Amino acid sequence: MKTLTIKGITYLLITAAGLTICLNFYACKPSQKVASKTGVQLWAENCQRCHNTPSPTTFSHEQWETIGLHMQSRALLTDDEREKIIAFLQQ
Amino acid sequence: MSLKTHASKLLILLVAITGTRGGLQAQQTTIDSALYDRVAELEKQVSYKKPGEDHFMVVGLTTFGFVSNKTTVTSGGASQISKTNSLADADHYEFSPMLLWRHGKKFLLEFEPSFNGNSLGVNWADVSYFAAPGVIIRAGYLVIPFGFYNKRLAAGWINKLPTDPTGVAGNPPASDFGIEVEGGLPLGDMKWNYDISLTNGMQLLPDGELQSAGITDNNKNKTITGRLGLLPFSNSSLELGISGLFGAVGDDTSTSFKGVKTSMFAVDLNYVKLFNPVLVSVKGQYNYTHIDRTTYAKPTDGSNYSFDNNTSSYFTQVSVRPTGADSKLVKNLEAALRIGNFTTPRNSLWGQRSDLIEGGLLYWINWRTVLKFGYQYSKSDSRAVDDPGTRTVSKSLFLQFSIQL
Repeated sequence: MKTLTIKGITYLLITAAGLTICLNFYACKPSQKVASKTGVQLWAENCQRCHNTPSPTTFSHEQWETIGLHMQSRALLTDDEREKIIAFLQQ
Repeated sequence: MSLKTHASKLLILLVAITGTRGGLQAQQTTIDSALYDRVAELEKQVSYKKPGEDHFMVVGLTTFGFVSNKTTVTSGGASQISKTNSLADADHYEFSPMLLWRHGKKFLLEFEPSFNGNSLGVNWADVSYFAAPGVIIRAGYLVIPFGFYNKRLAAGWINKLPTDPTGVAGNPPASDFGIEVEGGLPLGDMKWNYDISLTNGMQLLPDGELQSAGITDNNKNKTITGRLGLLPFSNSSLELGISGLFGAVGDDTSTSFKGVKTSMFAVDLNYVKLFNPVLVSVKGQYNYTHIDRTTYAKPTDGSNYSFDNNTSSYFTQVSVRPTGADSKLVKNLEAALRIGNFTTPRNSLWGQRSDLIEGGLLYWINWRTVLKFGYQYSKSDSRAVDDPGTRTVSKSLFLQFSIQL
């Protein structure tokens, strides 16, 4: 019974997530407050969720571009966050 | 002075000026030529450095260290003590260069081989396609989206303590062959992310444990794994995640295991916030695994036995780092504490209940290089079938160095 309950709840949540994706995919917008965040703010907020904030001098312009894609897929950053953070690190 | 004398002097002056000009012109031509050669050489060098659409780089990590361990096993009133001292910390040593190829801005190929002291394995080998905002499609040998530890925190230079949390890391196996769709999207002041994979899944072993099915599936069923994450605050300080994994694990060719399925469930939490001058990080994950009830055969006498094949594990971890301190020495120090539990099925051959506590002091040499000093205490009571009640107490002292390549 316990298993069925957990399984049922999980199925329900995944279905709800699927419906959310289908119904709101193109409606997902950041608020003005979030949209106006700078690269340095996003760098400080997001990198430290898992590890220390990286120094911009560590990698080259092209390397940051590659690492940006890798980190977006690991931390599931939004596209806007990735672009702003990488632009800051490339300065 | 006669007119003839003046004319002679003027002529000599004109000849001298003309000669000097010619010399200057010759010198100028030599300088111009050297400059042209230099510019051409620089252009050549720049063309070598000119970025193309593709880019290749190597990152990764290595971790090594020392562990001193004392283990006491008590069974039937008798105790046995064993002590080990291992350089390179055989349980946690790894050298894992990660190769990244980027094709334009849409494709990324990732390959991470890993040498752990005993064997050379592969952590992941996959190709990702950044299809649209919030949609990344991946295929290959990938990290399945169950919980968040394996995908985000397992690297030695990220992990705050010398060991991985028992029962959470690698349970279920971290990587599998399949396809995956994932992405992160804004939601007003909040953010959310999703991650769904379809993989070969796992195989049920004769003792009821699971292992990765590998590249050739052991049945026709595919395993679906999904994680949904929500970051409710605009500063991304908190992330809550829920995961599920469902699939058949029994071999199609097996008479007793055919059709046996597993369902797994996980919740995770990650909170990181600066309470100036201290950066506080709280992380945790709970895993629950259920496998359908079936009959197993004892390897000793072949007799049948059965048990509720349910496993649970969790860890909770807190770390603090005074990043705002004035002293460079103090701001590079971090303290971490983790408690955890790993409970495997009662009356199985491998049933046990383990409780662990681990503390550590870290010194950050730079943002990606760390020296860790840690102590772990674990107590494990057997729940195995036919076991008289064995207790294992383990105490370990770690000194570990980890660096991102």
